[in-house]
Amino acid sequence: MEEEGEEARALLAGGPDEARSGAPAASQVLSALCDPSRLAHRLLVLMLMCFLGFGSYFCYDNPAALQTQIQRDMQVNTTKFMLLYAWYSWPNVVLCFLGGFLIDRVFGIRWGTIIFICFVCIGQVIFALGGIFNAFWLMELGRFVFGIGGESLAVAQNTYAVSWFKGKELNLVFGLQLSMARIGSTVNMNLMGWLYSKIEASLGSAGPTTLGATLLIGGITCILSLICALALAYLDQRAEKILHKEQGKTGEVIKLTDIKDFSLPLWLIFIICVGYYVVVFPFIGLGKIFFIEKFGFSSQAASAINSVVYIISAPMSPVFGLLVDKTGKNIIWVLCAVTTTLVSHMMLAFTMWNPWIAMCLLGLSYSLLACALWPMVAFLVPEHQLGTAYGFMQSIQNLGLAIISIIAGMILDTRGYLFLEVFFIACVSVALLSVVLLYLVNHAQGGSLNYSTRQREEMMVSHTE
Amino acid sequence: MCSCGESRRGWGPYAPSPVLFLSLFVSAAPFGLLGEETRQVSLEVPGWPDHPQNLLHIRAVGPNSTLHYVWSSLGPPAVVLVATNTPHSVLSINWTRLLSPEPDGGLAVLPKDSIQFSSALVFTRLLEFDSAASGAAAEPPGKPYPPYSLAEFWWNNITDSLQPATLSATFWGHPARDPAGTFANGSLAFRVQAFDRAGRAAQPPRLLHTADTCQLELVLAGASPRGNRSLFGIEVATLGQGPGCPVIQERHSIDDEYAPAVFQLDQLLWGSPPSGFVQWRPVVFSQEQADRDSALSCQASPLHPTLAHSLPPTLAHSLPQSPVVQAFFGPQQNYCTFSLTFGASTGPGYWDQHYLSWSVLLGLGPPPVDALSPLILGIMAVALGAPGLLLLGVGVALLLHRTHPSEYRSIT
Repeated sequence: MEEEGEEARALLAGGPDEARSGAPAASQVLSALCDPSRLAHRLLVLMLMCFLGFGSYFCYDNPAALQTQIQRDMQVNTTKFMLLYAWYSWPNVVLCFLGGFLIDRVFGIRWGTIIFICFVCIGQVIFALGGIFNAFWLMELGRFVFGIGGESLAVAQNTYAVSWFKGKELNLVFGLQLSMARIGSTVNMNLMGWLYSKIEASLGSAGPTTLGATLLIGGITCILSLICALALAYLDQRAEKILHKEQGKTGEVIKLTDIKDFSLPLWLIFIICVGYYVVVFPFIGLGKIFFIEKFGFSSQAASAINSVVYIISAPMSPVFGLLVDKTGKNIIWVLCAVTTTLVSHMMLAFTMWNPWIAMCLLGLSYSLLACALWPMVAFLVPEHQLGTAYGFMQSIQNLGLAIISIIAGMILDTRGYLFLEVFFIACVSVALLSVVLLYLVNHAQGGSLNYSTRQREEMMVSHTE
Repeated sequence: MCSCGESRRGWGPYAPSPVLFLSLFVSAAPFGLLGEETRQVSLEVPGWPDHPQNLLHIRAVGPNSTLHYVWSSLGPPAVVLVATNTPHSVLSINWTRLLSPEPDGGLAVLPKDSIQFSSALVFTRLLEFDSAASGAAAEPPGKPYPPYSLAEFWWNNITDSLQPATLSATFWGHPARDPAGTFANGSLAFRVQAFDRAGRAAQPPRLLHTADTCQLELVLAGASPRGNRSLFGIEVATLGQGPGCPVIQERHSIDDEYAPAVFQLDQLLWGSPPSGFVQWRPVVFSQEQADRDSALSCQASPLHPTLAHSLPPTLAHSLPQSPVVQAFFGPQQNYCTFSLTFGASTGPGYWDQHYLSWSVLLGLGPPPVDALSPLILGIMAVALGAPGLLLLGVGVALLLHRTHPSEYRSIT
């Protein structure tokens, strides 16, 4: 590290005076910040990376945070309200395959990030204008544009992380980025309702204009993210010049023809993924009114409990990640997560027990599932097909989310929350069935999915021998 | 429409046992509990020459009992509920006395000793509040406008709206004197429906009804509100039991299948069952197409004793007296009143469509209890059963397999 630092300092010749040795302590700190090879500079970059995604995660769940207000001001039923989530998901059914390609081949990471985040900003502005002009179709359009940028931005964010931190603090960085995303969602859930009431007080009345103004102010977080993207692009370019660092690439190679080679266990994992995530995100999207009506929560308390899944997932994701890494046995962990989710939804549906219990369980199982499910793909697919497999997984996840969001809204309007919860329980049970089948198929085929870490290490040794 | 129901299921202390959560796993249970009881229901409009027809007699005959519902718009809209333990009881009306200023004894159910329970509801006043004024100047729901006394309404001829096929009839009314013209295009309607068997309406709130019950749908349509954000309400009077008043129970349930996002059922019980009940969901609808978009909340005030009618009419709380109630119960009765307010000051309301509809179920005997629908139970049985069985199978297979030594090490 020290030698690298010296080398970089030499390269920084012609830079500001502070770079020279013998400068005061403050200048040394500054020089460390400006020096791409130093830890201090990487931390600066890390901070920018974290805030890069903050805006999009903050705005993604704006509808959930303002469900009552949106349905009241725009006079839409739940089915139409859930279209706001569906429209976000539709572009990503395709873009999950294209995001990596666009970054690698067309825009490059820097311009790619800036362009994606511009889509996010413009989408949010259109979304807010839909409120101001009292045009729901405009809001839907806004969410569509927002969706074009949203998921691809996450790909870009990961690419940046790999490019700057590979071989250094990469896992920590991924963890922090995920935590930051969850913080964005949480802050949104708890802030937007309050912001709405403040604007309502200053404008004198509630209505589409108030809604639009609230969303527009929420959009400031996207501008913040855009500034981060611009700063990152500048620093990345500078680092490229100084360190001769290559521009980051996702390295994803998508070959749709690979899909025909996908094995049965992989398809089962896809089913688990769809069956599981559709009971988490659409539920959170619709949860606020559920907690108000069924459990008599205040609007603020309902927002808080609705965001608890994200709050728990922020610190628990790294913990569970470590746990799964240390123990292996991924299928058993997935089974635990899916069963816990089933129990938590049954508690929400059939009991009047304090919903904090069920929601905390849901938060824990959600974090556990993410840590245990996604890595299994890497055990099943040769490395050159990983990009396609993950792209496909995200794509059908988005397809599932889009379709189930619409169905969930329709069920809620016609048959109420109990039936909706029963529908979600049926979805989890499909996931549960698939987990058990996955266990059986893996067992029968002698697959490696459920090996403990020790068994995996032994396998590695035997292979290298 | 036959009296062939099981004899033990007539009027009497046989309550269908509430279906518990546990029945979730016994999916056949709810089928047997509902819908077996039938009654022979007849709607009759007794008349008197040269007098508007404003009395509706619903007679529901079961194998061992007869229920009488006497609806009337003579004075404020009111209903007298009478349960008797014989299939042969009849309503007797002494018109000259009923229409006189002292109607006591003008209405009777004979034989008198067959009467097991009787009570009455009177819809006394239509309330209106200025919700914009709530908060600073007045308590919610807001500053009250002078209420419309329903005793001073003009009501239609009930025969014109009688629909024997659906066992329903509608009382339409508007103020007899309407100087401000607020009801120029509007009306207040009481749609009464009786049932000969258990079932559920097609439109929310889809209250579960039985042959012992009668449904009232109250519809306010087209009347001009006196403020921009007027909330309407209705004042209801009932007979007190002894010195106190009945209480309104708020029952919370997990089941909102029939009224989406409404997890509460309010009911007023007259004494301990089997007596009678009034049951409603705290929801009103602001459009004819009753669905979740048009659902508004509905708040009920607690019941409180109200002074009798004999006091000077200038007194604010004096109740308009219903001749039919007085004719059946006599003049000395304790009344209890409560009011319902429809909607809230924010969000959608009457002002959007100039329409409000509130449904309530009146009945004799124990109130019907909702059970989880067969569809929900079926889905749950499959959703839990399939993975459960598979897991069990895997568990058993694993146990059997454990007896063989693992072959994993031999590969390496």
